[in-house]
Amino acid sequence: MPSESVRATSAREIGFRIGDANSRPRKVKVIALDRKAAAMVTGLASKTWNGAAFFTATGLDAPAPQAGGFAMPGWLADLAGRARNIVDEVAGADVVVMIAMAGEDAGAASLIGEACSLRRVMTTALVIAGARTGDDALSASLALLRPWALMLVIAEDIDYIEDMLVALRA
Amino acid sequence: MLRQEHNELLTRTGPGTDAGKLFRSYWLPALLTEELPHDDCPPVRVKLLSERLVAFRDSGGRHGLIDEFCAHRGVSLWFGRNEECGLRCPYHGWKYDVTGQCIDVPSEPEESGFARTIKLKSYPLIERGGVLWAYMGPPQKQPALPEWEFATVPAERRFVSKRLQESNWLQAMEGGIDSSHVSWLHRGELDSDPLFRGARGNAYNLKDARPVFEVVESPGGLYIGARRGVENGHYYWRITPWVMPCFTMIPPRGDHSVHGHFWIPLDDENCMAWSFDYHPTRALSTAEIAAMRDGKCVHVRYVPGGFRPLANKDNDYLIDRAAQKAGRTFSGVSGIAMQDASLQESMGAIVDRTRENLVSTDNGIIMARHKLMRTIKAMVEKDVTPPGVDVAHQRVRSAALVLPPDVPYREGAREALSVRPGVAPASV
Repeated sequence: MPSESVRATSAREIGFRIGDANSRPRKVKVIALDRKAAAMVTGLASKTWNGAAFFTATGLDAPAPQAGGFAMPGWLADLAGRARNIVDEVAGADVVVMIAMAGEDAGAASLIGEACSLRRVMTTALVIAGARTGDDALSASLALLRPWALMLVIAEDIDYIEDMLVALRA
Repeated sequence: MLRQEHNELLTRTGPGTDAGKLFRSYWLPALLTEELPHDDCPPVRVKLLSERLVAFRDSGGRHGLIDEFCAHRGVSLWFGRNEECGLRCPYHGWKYDVTGQCIDVPSEPEESGFARTIKLKSYPLIERGGVLWAYMGPPQKQPALPEWEFATVPAERRFVSKRLQESNWLQAMEGGIDSSHVSWLHRGELDSDPLFRGARGNAYNLKDARPVFEVVESPGGLYIGARRGVENGHYYWRITPWVMPCFTMIPPRGDHSVHGHFWIPLDDENCMAWSFDYHPTRALSTAEIAAMRDGKCVHVRYVPGGFRPLANKDNDYLIDRAAQKAGRTFSGVSGIAMQDASLQESMGAIVDRTRENLVSTDNGIIMARHKLMRTIKAMVEKDVTPPGVDVAHQRVRSAALVLPPDVPYREGAREALSVRPGVAPASV
């Protein structure tokens, strides 16, 4: 039988919603793929987050993926410059967010993407492409990112990165 | 999640609010033309952006949209007599023209000029494409007339309906850009709805329930692309445009008509979901029109006498648990429109977005909120005209097409995403 008590949908009804936490803190790893993105990520890292961790992949020499499994252990750098193992960092993540500037070298995406694929971790890539970004530059970035990003955003302004991370409870 | 102050900013659209100012920058769908079918027909009550208004069509065919309540004693002018170029209050006979100007106060000597001192708030109301559009912003900023393609094609190529949705506009609109729910909630309709079935693209949809999404900014708002791998390493793209503040368009299927929506706030707890179907190059068939009138696709059947859906929260949306169990519908609710509306209304009148747990595939929603907030800030602080006011932003199409793997769809689908008179939509 339908219950009359649950049909009301006025704004006041919100007051009867259970207020307990409905999720645990999420582990978000944010990785800058190029030097310009690294500068943005460094700025973002200084803000307050719910456990988000920030890295750069600018020192990586990404090898070509090899057939038959993960190519090799690679290294990330945290913002203090310490080397971090990609596989270890990715293994504990709920989502990995890769940040790239259109037209810059996003080659590290393959190594990170392969590690995420190995560990079944969700990947999101965010490409900053200003209004003056050429189609060729964007196309080159997409060619590197599409095979490895399960969600891809092409944004015009860097402010979006922070809004997205807040929305994801990073 | 969204901070509470941002949720308030985006969901409150009454007079004096920032989001209300945004909405007051545009021509908004207010009534179907058929609601005022002839000169001196009965007036119609309209609530829009938390303002109660009354619309009428005078003896000369002019449309008026004025404050609902008589300036004398506050009587609703919906009870008024629409006659001899004005709407006359039945209480003491005060009469108003389509601009809200009082033109007769029978108790006062005409020579006194008293009537000229009385004027109700009014807004321009114009007809275009089977819709009466209202502009509620400052007169000096009144934009050019709307140029949405569905409103510019010949009448026989178009069908427009509207339905009441008992929720805030934003959660309704967010459903329109949330492409990731289609393969789940609406999967039963792809094969059964007469306005969907038979398209080759449907097989692509059903074969891959986990598409990869790409969100791209556009001059008027966003494109949300969903891609699925198909033959020869190519991608099948379904691209949904969102134009600020609340226009969305569903990618086409085969040679079916194209569907789209406006999500218009009535007040902060109710909105009107406007749904249109059109084909740019051919007349809709009798069978298509009949299906739309019967509530198929994005349309609904009504409680007689109004625009409240026949399936509504008071009858649990006529949920059919047997159909749900058998897989004929995924949620048990029938029809695409009410499948969406039932779930969106279940969130509560204004969903508490501080408790959301958004995931990566929600980036279309996240980006739309980001753009709305950025636009409102620029408009309020710097008086910048918001995207979507320029009619060039309104000349968009949705598209479904196959592209090579490394092509940015904004480029590969550039023509397909633009209005091209006389050219059929890009569809698979």
